Amino acid sequence: MSLSVNNAFSARGVSRRRVLRNTLALAGSFCLASPHLAWAAPEIDGALNERFMRLSGLLVNHQLDEEVGRKMAIHAARHFKQLETLIDELLATAEGRKARRVEAFFDDVPEGPARELAYWIIAAWYSGSSDSSPEATLFTYERALTYQTTLDMTPIPSFGLSAPNGWQIASAPLDALPDF
Amino acid sequence: MSHPSSAEVVIVGTGVVGAVMAEQLLDAGISVLMLEAGPRVSRGEVVETFRNLPLGIKGNASSSYPPRPWAPHPMPRTGNPDEDYLQLSGPDEYAQTYIRYAGGSTWHWAGTCWRLTPEDMRLNSLYGVGRDWVFDYDTLDPYYNMAEYALGICGPSDPDLQWPRRARSRPYPMPHLPFSPGEEKFTRVVSEALGYTNLPVAQARNSGTPYDGRPACCANNNCVPVCPIGAKYDAATALARLESKGAVILSNAVVHRIETGENNRIQAVHYLDPQKTSHRVTGKHFVIACNGIETPKLLLMSADERNPTGIANRSDQVGRNMMDHPQIGLTLTLEEPYWLGRGPVVNSGIMETSQGDFRSEHAGAYFRMNNFARNRYVTFDALRTGKVGQALDEEIRRRTACTVNLVAAHEILPDANNRLTLSDRKDWLGLPKPHIHYDVGDYTRRSARDYSMPIARRIASAMGAVEVKEPKGFAQSKHLMGGTIMGNDPSDSVVDSWCRSHDHDNLFLPGGGAMPSTACGNSTLTMVALAFRAAEALVNQARGASA
Repeated sequence: MSLSVNNAFSARGVSRRRVLRNTLALAGSFCLASPHLAWAAPEIDGALNERFMRLSGLLVNHQLDEEVGRKMAIHAARHFKQLETLIDELLATAEGRKARRVEAFFDDVPEGPARELAYWIIAAWYSGSSDSSPEATLFTYERALTYQTTLDMTPIPSFGLSAPNGWQIASAPLDALPDF
Repeated sequence: MSHPSSAEVVIVGTGVVGAVMAEQLLDAGISVLMLEAGPRVSRGEVVETFRNLPLGIKGNASSSYPPRPWAPHPMPRTGNPDEDYLQLSGPDEYAQTYIRYAGGSTWHWAGTCWRLTPEDMRLNSLYGVGRDWVFDYDTLDPYYNMAEYALGICGPSDPDLQWPRRARSRPYPMPHLPFSPGEEKFTRVVSEALGYTNLPVAQARNSGTPYDGRPACCANNNCVPVCPIGAKYDAATALARLESKGAVILSNAVVHRIETGENNRIQAVHYLDPQKTSHRVTGKHFVIACNGIETPKLLLMSADERNPTGIANRSDQVGRNMMDHPQIGLTLTLEEPYWLGRGPVVNSGIMETSQGDFRSEHAGAYFRMNNFARNRYVTFDALRTGKVGQALDEEIRRRTACTVNLVAAHEILPDANNRLTLSDRKDWLGLPKPHIHYDVGDYTRRSARDYSMPIARRIASAMGAVEVKEPKGFAQSKHLMGGTIMGNDPSDSVVDSWCRSHDHDNLFLPGGGAMPSTACGNSTLTMVALAFRAAEALVNQARGASA
């Protein structure tokens, strides 16, 4: 329709979207038989968990909850072949660039399984879920980073925002990202 | 375990209509037994179920209420008729959502409480379409007042902001809820650009003060699927009070047959427990209030020698005239942030577009900007852009702030071909699943083509939309109406003006099924008003007086 405009994504963006879509679909297909919260039973090797969290901290530059990360690592260990190798690959890329933030090394991660894992980890932290399907595994609700990006303006549904009738605070600008 | 087996009035269903009926009867000193097909759960349990859903399904209201095997209700459709509960056919899908839990579907309603207008009740007289109600607005008005005080409705005191725009006979019990800045902006934009008034929704939600033992709304923005603090009315909040007044409430009791006796009066209902054992409950009077699908289904399932086409169905109108408010929801991306999500999930609406002489040609429409926090709808799309780091944070924040859902809800005319019948497919108990054939009809389609969507596009433009996603076809509003339609003529209607069956003088069928017209606003308040009216007749009847 006349009001529609196409988003002008870069070729790199298109490629990223394709990889991420494939990653989410792949993870979703693994999860079809998994009940929610299926992460609860098994443990994970402490060293692997530590590397998973270190990588998470490089891919997602926010405060990350250890327990949530442990659930993700357990899930990833089940669903990504050669998880340890892929983590090491990504860590090596980041450390090779002396990166502290994802922007400093992400473009150097080649297309393939390591990049798919990186996208999956990012998506898991932001959505709190293993994928977008109804059958996904939940890692966290209220700590999902999507809610933290707007916590100054919108509630996490089912957690109160204000005192009675007290939701008329002025709107915040888009570029005033909360610190989280 | 002993099972209660008799009461003066037996009510099937514990939703808002059954609960209101029960309280009126109990207050009149009449004993009441309520039978509920589904389980009785705590608010905390529902909230935890919601919080533990993955993000991709949090927007589905039913997912917080997993059905019990013996009381199936519609869940996200699979397309497999053996798995899906509702069996659907026709040009449009009557893919409704409701739950079979004690307290009924008010657990997950938005709480919106529009009244009908006088004109909404006279479609045939004024516009030559549809059916007229058998009484006028002034007759319904006192029952609306009762409903508004029973549910605890907050609404505007300014007559210019009330709906319908006529003098109220009684003020709302609470002032309306405030608008968030985004809603104020929307109100200003549609007024300045299009001359429309965005009204505060009259809603069953406590505004700034406790009411009826429930706390004030604190902007949890989770009215659908569950208010975590009970600031919104739901019938579950009434059940303990009903019990304190003497009601017996039996959950997990699936009524599967209505039994008739001498003079074709109803003399018992039969229910199955989760062990598939059947029990018989007798009474002097019966109320079937299990919603607009389950009620006609039960009536049809109960066919007997006296009533070969089903209970209350001499007119062959049971299950016909199935109606809803066919809606089209547009997703807009705006230049500037609106920051929806503060306050209740529905807080305002444009109603004037539902009225006019055009109704001789096409349906009216009601427009609202939903006020759900947008994160759950935008997160995966933002992730699919491939952005990372701060760019991803900004993308989620922008999409949450700058996207809105604009809904046009239409009226629909009663059509006997829009019909619920019993499917050959059976549920866990071996009871037939409901089958519904549905077509929204040309009257509604013409509205979308020539009226409502052009208005919606103008609203979108006025709001500064840079992208508009317009779905093909209609979605459902989950407002079940028409299946036990009201009228004076027993040959073409199921219930009389008191929601009493034409065929069985001790059987009442109050609720949305009785409504002869839908208008555009949500139906619950009218359903509850009809429940108060039916309760008045039933109390009089039980005391030996004529209604």
